[in-house]
Amino acid sequence: MVFFFCRHKIHAMQKLLLFVDRISTWVGQAFSFFIIALTLHVSWEVFSRYALDNPRAWAFDVMIMFYGTLFMMAGAYTLAKNGHVRGDVIYGFFSPRAQAAVDLTLYILFFLPGVIALTYAGYFYAAESWAINEHSNITSEGPPVYPFKTVIPLAGAFVLVQGIVEIIRCIICLKTGTWPSREEDVVEVDVDKLKQELHVKDEDIQKLDQYVVKQERK
Amino acid sequence: MKLRKELWFGFSLIALIILPTLLLMPWGHLTNGHLGLMMLSLIVVGIMMGFPTAFTLMGMGVFFAWLAYRSVNPALANRQVLDLFVQRTYGVMSNDVLIAIPLFLFMGYLVERAQLIDKLFKSLHLALARVPGALAVATIVTCAIFATATGIVGAVVTLMGLLAFPAMLKAGYNVKVSAGAITAGGCLGILIPPSVLLIVYGAVAGVSVVQLYAGAFLPGFMLAGLYIGYVIVLAKLRPELMPPLPASERRVELPSYAQALRQYGSNALAGLSRAFTGRAAPGVGKRTVLAQLVVTLSPALFILAILGATYHSATSPEAKTDTAGLIEAGGAIAADASESEQSSGLIGAPEAEEENKPQEVAPPPQAEEKKPAADAQPAGAPAQKVPAPLWFWIVLAIGVATIALIYWLWSWERLEVYKMLLISFFPLAILILMVLGSIVFGLATPSEAAAVGGFGGFLLAAAYRYTAHVRAPADQRAGQGKAILATVKDLGTILKESSFLTAKTSAMVCWLFVGSGIFSAAFALLGGQELIEKWVLSLDMTPVQFMMLAQFIIFILGWPLEWTEIIIIFMPIFLPLLPHFGIDPLFFGLLVALNLQTAFLSPPVAMAAFYLKGVSPPHVTLNQIFAGMMPFMGIQLIALVLLYVFPQIGLWLPQMLYAR
Repeated sequence: MVFFFCRHKIHAMQKLLLFVDRISTWVGQAFSFFIIALTLHVSWEVFSRYALDNPRAWAFDVMIMFYGTLFMMAGAYTLAKNGHVRGDVIYGFFSPRAQAAVDLTLYILFFLPGVIALTYAGYFYAAESWAINEHSNITSEGPPVYPFKTVIPLAGAFVLVQGIVEIIRCIICLKTGTWPSREEDVVEVDVDKLKQELHVKDEDIQKLDQYVVKQERK
Repeated sequence: MKLRKELWFGFSLIALIILPTLLLMPWGHLTNGHLGLMMLSLIVVGIMMGFPTAFTLMGMGVFFAWLAYRSVNPALANRQVLDLFVQRTYGVMSNDVLIAIPLFLFMGYLVERAQLIDKLFKSLHLALARVPGALAVATIVTCAIFATATGIVGAVVTLMGLLAFPAMLKAGYNVKVSAGAITAGGCLGILIPPSVLLIVYGAVAGVSVVQLYAGAFLPGFMLAGLYIGYVIVLAKLRPELMPPLPASERRVELPSYAQALRQYGSNALAGLSRAFTGRAAPGVGKRTVLAQLVVTLSPALFILAILGATYHSATSPEAKTDTAGLIEAGGAIAADASESEQSSGLIGAPEAEEENKPQEVAPPPQAEEKKPAADAQPAGAPAQKVPAPLWFWIVLAIGVATIALIYWLWSWERLEVYKMLLISFFPLAILILMVLGSIVFGLATPSEAAAVGGFGGFLLAAAYRYTAHVRAPADQRAGQGKAILATVKDLGTILKESSFLTAKTSAMVCWLFVGSGIFSAAFALLGGQELIEKWVLSLDMTPVQFMMLAQFIIFILGWPLEWTEIIIIFMPIFLPLLPHFGIDPLFFGLLVALNLQTAFLSPPVAMAAFYLKGVSPPHVTLNQIFAGMMPFMGIQLIALVLLYVFPQIGLWLPQMLYAR
């Protein structure tokens, strides 16, 4: 009965975790479209400067804002998909429980102080910018900067929430011995998809073995 | 619990770092500098534990920066740390160098999804069929081009593992040589610009990315050239490793009109012109003949256009060199030739004009970017002409000789291969050359060139996807409208996936910068940097020794760490030392980029090998792949030594272009 209860609780927990994952993913993906906007914006600016001889003063500011917002707001998304770079020397050889123990310790030791500091400091940084109605000083009459500075606490808060989810994942893993699942996402190297694109089937690769074996016999 | 071998290795490495730190620390009288060093050794351990590095840096940076401020004024410490952190973060967000990273990533993902690699490999394989070790050479060339455009090692190695590996194995190529060619070729994208590694280095070191790109150009191609040279020599010396291709693999399918026109002779130019001027061959329309004739003549027209442009820039008064003359000379058909030629006029460096070498592998006139002629019209036309110098006549002679040679060899088969290259190789090559050319010649900043390149990548993807839909096998072919619809649907997916991947990868790199911002600030505040500087200078090393030591440390770090971590976290420690030894940070960056190439190929952590293993037949072992990579790693070391001994390989181009 107790066992059942635990499993039930973990199941409910898992639902909540995936829900937060989905929010982070949705936010990150929504802001990821900024790259298309950025590409078009810069391409148009180049065209406008060379072909129409009509550079726009605020173009640089806008470029920077697209870029900064894009990567900051994708931070939680990347964390949700376990995409932040890890030094994989020994981590990969740990058992899931050991991995969770290391992660949990370091989340509390490094992640929480760092990200809380970022969010907290970012809040006042942005508030100050709002208070003085700050505009970019790269060009005269530059666009307002305060929305851009607001991105810092906002992104920090999303990362913080996602980090708490990751901490709960560590605890679940410590209890059950396996990592709770995540939802899938596009990956950089999707072998199955690449196989499909090149019309390579697994049998074809298996068939190739004869050539390798032939070489070994020689 | 029995520990695995790898864990033993890892733990002993950690102990190796922790123990000396603990033992050597003067615990009685700890200064801030010592804290800084402790922080450095802790971060290595922290990274090795496998926690996301960006957050390790953040946490440690905040803590140690707080310690540093507290030692000065405890009352203000909290505030100062928070201010420092948020300002550093904002610095990363508004960094005008790093902005090129998402743009280049996006371009890479788009090009990767354009589905052109199979066409590229096939046409290069046919074009190079007579070269010894043809398939391996074609593999390296394909990898070099594709990796340059995309910069994604994993994807390139996987794709080539699916495409070139089977082809090579079937042709009886040695497993090790084949694996080596794929893995080594796939890693070239890290070095050959536009590479993200160089942007990251530029941002960290404060070196101009433009100059880095100009500098990495020749070393990158030198490395690719060394690989190819090695493969060719090996194939000549030991043909059993790479047997020549059988005739069936080399044969080019001729379309029906070419077979009909063959009666006029085996030279395609002669045949086509005879068919065009006189008797029409049975079953071959005049339009086909004309189209083929245009394709056949395009290389000659292109070379002539370059020669004309060279003549103009050589004879027009130097002060007034302008783009207009070039465009007039080439006409619309040479629009993209003038695109690259313009530069010589625009940057205003007369030396650059000597650069117009017609014999370099030049893209054919694709006229992708037509400039309105009116825009290029100068206010005052150049008044006086200078007589053409001697070098121009030499260049002219070489150009004419090239044309003669091309058409002497222009058989029907070569025409077919040329057409294949025209649709697979040249568009990508032009895209890369345009992006690089506009950066190197100062027409656009790297981020601007990257954005335009991304747009070009999108157009490439659209064109290739559309042709794929139109030319689908007869049973599933759709009409024009359906093909367009399917293409749009494809493009939607491509854009979506590329955007998501770009967001994730840029977040990975740039959050690392956010973390290292506060971390390196803390390191500097604690005075760790000074301590290291003092220590290194007290060793009284010669510049050569220092350079060797630095490169060796980077090489070692390349085993456990990713290049992003090495450059973002550890480069700032080396960089302040460079002026003491009179080392150019640009040159150092080139060496680092070349050095980190080896990290991708050195077992046991070489990523490239694992990607290839993932798609190879089961009997190919990891050890075979590693063994295949070894000679190529040796070549990388040779290239490193060459670059070190002859720094001009890397510095000549930047010096010439920017008068460093």
